[in-house]
Amino acid sequence: MADDYLKKALRVSYGVSTGLALLMGLGFFLVTSFTGDHTALARYGGASWVFTLALIIALPTVTPFVKRRIRSQV
Amino acid sequence: MTENSSKKAKVVIPVTGMTCASCVVHVSEALEEVPGVSQAQVNLASGQASVEYDPSKADVQNLERAIKDAGYGVGRDTALLQISGMTCAACVEKIQTAVGSLPGVSHITVNLATGTARVEYLSSVIRLKEIKAAIQELGYGAEEKLEGEAALEREKREREREVRRQLINLLVAAPLGALVMLGTFQPYWFLPHVLPAWMNNKVFLFILTTPVVLGPGRQFFVNSFNGLRRGVTDMNLLYATGIGAAYLIAVINTFWPDAGFGGREATFYEAAALLTTFIILGRYLEAVTRGRTSEAIRKLMKLQPKKAHVLREGQEVEVHADEVEAGDIVVVRPGESIPVDGVVREGYSAVDEAMLTGESLPVEKKPGDEVIGGTLNKTGAFRFQATRVGKETALSQIIQMVENAQLTKPPLQRVADMVAGHFILGVHILALLVFLFWFFIGFDLWFMPDSRLILTPYVLTGMGVFGFSLLTSITVLVISCPCAVGLATPSAIMAGTGKGAEHGILFKGGDALEAISKLTTIVFDKTGTLTKGQPSVTDVVAVGLEEQAALRLAAIAEKNSEHPLGEAIVSAARGQGLDVPDADSFEAIPGYGVVAQWNGQGVILGNRKLMAERGIALGDLTARAESLENQGKTAMFLATDGQSKGIVAVADTLKANSARAVAALKRMGLEVVMITGDNRRTAQAIAGQLGVDSVLAEVLPQEKANEVKRLQEQGRRVAMVGDGINDAPALAQADVGIAIGSGTDIAKETGHVVLMRDDPLDVVAAAQVGKATMKNVKQNLFWAFGYNTAAIPLGMGVVYPFTGLLVSPELASLLMALSSITVTMNALRLKAFVPPAKRDTGHEEETWLTTT
Repeated sequence: MADDYLKKALRVSYGVSTGLALLMGLGFFLVTSFTGDHTALARYGGASWVFTLALIIALPTVTPFVKRRIRSQV
Repeated sequence: MTENSSKKAKVVIPVTGMTCASCVVHVSEALEEVPGVSQAQVNLASGQASVEYDPSKADVQNLERAIKDAGYGVGRDTALLQISGMTCAACVEKIQTAVGSLPGVSHITVNLATGTARVEYLSSVIRLKEIKAAIQELGYGAEEKLEGEAALEREKREREREVRRQLINLLVAAPLGALVMLGTFQPYWFLPHVLPAWMNNKVFLFILTTPVVLGPGRQFFVNSFNGLRRGVTDMNLLYATGIGAAYLIAVINTFWPDAGFGGREATFYEAAALLTTFIILGRYLEAVTRGRTSEAIRKLMKLQPKKAHVLREGQEVEVHADEVEAGDIVVVRPGESIPVDGVVREGYSAVDEAMLTGESLPVEKKPGDEVIGGTLNKTGAFRFQATRVGKETALSQIIQMVENAQLTKPPLQRVADMVAGHFILGVHILALLVFLFWFFIGFDLWFMPDSRLILTPYVLTGMGVFGFSLLTSITVLVISCPCAVGLATPSAIMAGTGKGAEHGILFKGGDALEAISKLTTIVFDKTGTLTKGQPSVTDVVAVGLEEQAALRLAAIAEKNSEHPLGEAIVSAARGQGLDVPDADSFEAIPGYGVVAQWNGQGVILGNRKLMAERGIALGDLTARAESLENQGKTAMFLATDGQSKGIVAVADTLKANSARAVAALKRMGLEVVMITGDNRRTAQAIAGQLGVDSVLAEVLPQEKANEVKRLQEQGRRVAMVGDGINDAPALAQADVGIAIGSGTDIAKETGHVVLMRDDPLDVVAAAQVGKATMKNVKQNLFWAFGYNTAAIPLGMGVVYPFTGLLVSPELASLLMALSSITVTMNALRLKAFVPPAKRDTGHEEETWLTTT
């Protein structure tokens, strides 16, 4: 019982967090592509680093929120 | 078990405290009042409540609260788990968050220093194996904590395994890391003269670094991945991102030097290798030193004897100490440890009890005396009858109490854990902001191609905007690790509670240590605490008859009295060789005295009120009585046949160290108050001899708690020192209840601190241990937070625009490791702490209250 609820919560939070992190990374890439004179590596590398950190930040932030939502919907 | 059907859930909750049908109604009504509960069926016989509820509107916690609010308890199960693999405060927060959110778990406390977790849960909702599985999924080991020697063995084995594992990692990482460092710096200083050029080959450095990152460094990646899978973060993630990013840059610069990360001259292999090495060095040293802070409990466990010689059917047989049963006669020879608690029946000896009570001199034991399991018989042989065995022995109770104390978190630690737990997230946010700042703003404004990393000859010439921003971002991740914050409090609390136990001072929780360090006022109950509680006759004043005759009459009147003062008078008469026959009739008048008939004459012994009530004139005796009372004695008037005949004065004796204890507490800046049922004049006289600041006299036993409350309402933080059983309400009311002189009866004691001996100096020692521990905690927190406060701006590159110097990730990891080690070493200083009250334990002469 507990496991099902947790698994569902984690699946949803992975999805939401990855989406948010991708948005951040994409935002960084677009900003660096259209402003300044950045090398391709700086743009791609920077976007990857922003994505990684954003994902790490988003996961523990989103997970408790999603758990609460799912528990209230059970 | 919990069931769900459409939008309904059903849970069975064990309810405690129900005694009758009306309790069933109360609990049912309380549950049905919770929004979302559609049905509550309560069974008195099984002591369970079956509740059907809507989980979108209520949860198990709401239901538990409703039961408690109705005045009943919830029969939760408690499990003590041994957790392995925890390395920092974030691990604590991670486990607490993950397990605490499981349905059916009411409360979880994780202790980093002891590697244990106490979980309160509803077994009807969740099983222990599900809780253990949740912890294991996070990447930690979780097993039920064993007790006694088995626990000691397993804890030792696991600690040794962790020490060995980190040592092997260190033996791999350190030499390779050193080679990588030498290779990286081969072109600088004098190194070109002593090292071959091929050592600086980037592919060679790649070959050396890769096993370090993927071997010893693998644990960080695996643990952080396990955490992220559950949506939680910990220190491992900081290390993994730091090491991973440094290694990745180095690999890119080696194989794609034109990628813009600074090229082949800016590979950070040494950062990745040394970062891993220093973190593992820190973990290794922590694993070694952390075990030492729990040495006190290990020492106590080692005191538990393994064998006992018991008389069975007249034969002496050797059995395991666990097999001794209450009532068994146990034989103890010189030099042997006493296996269980009991009462001496035959023989005479001296027993060393220092290990449990802190009493430095061997204690004489004769028939009728109590012996404590785990203490050491010195000289003679004796036989004793076992009274408490197994978990009931004083030693087992002490171990239990110290373990519990080490599991309890003082408020300061709860704050530190919360900060450390949320810190990781904050650090990642900071690392992202730092990256964005240097990428978009800082690099263009302040980058200097000839700038370098602190303590290295490394010039950042070829560094691009991405490489530079990434480097500062990684440094922030590594330098900000709050390991030291997580260790600061538990390591000191463990050392402090252990130190207390060494001196027979048992703190029931870390919160007691913190509370005792913040006291402003100490209230002593007089009888049995400052005095011995054994009054004796000090003066006899006789009018118109011999003193001995007056004492004999008083003794005859009091012979059948059970009052301690009466017993003192009878004992004094017998001590003088006087015959004390029974009175013909006897009546005790509580609060006044006694009235008796003997040999045809009426004998009255009592206070002024009794004499006044009986119309007996006291004449000059009143002044004499006042004089005696001014000396702290209790004066009782003697009258026969309506005529006053004299006074019998009785006084308790002060304990040898009472005055010293009061003086020491006053020197510590505490206000010392004495509380007693004695009349004001007597109480003031005793207070004068002890030097206490104020007296609460003529207080009935049941009013003591109210007096303590009154002091608290005046804004004071109050400790009450008294008998753990008789003064229980006052001890419970006080901010810190100190039960004195418990001897072996520890389990019965109320109060937050239990003193095994009845020496008032132990109260001073308890306060000193509390203050020293909390001072240590504050020092640790200062260093830990101070380190982060100073190090984070450095890592962010705050000084770079002014100095051109940047902290390298490897230096950051060294600083981080040093901060954890500093904190643990500082806590270990407490092991050498001896409370000043215990440094000079010279046995002073008893002080009679009659010294004036």
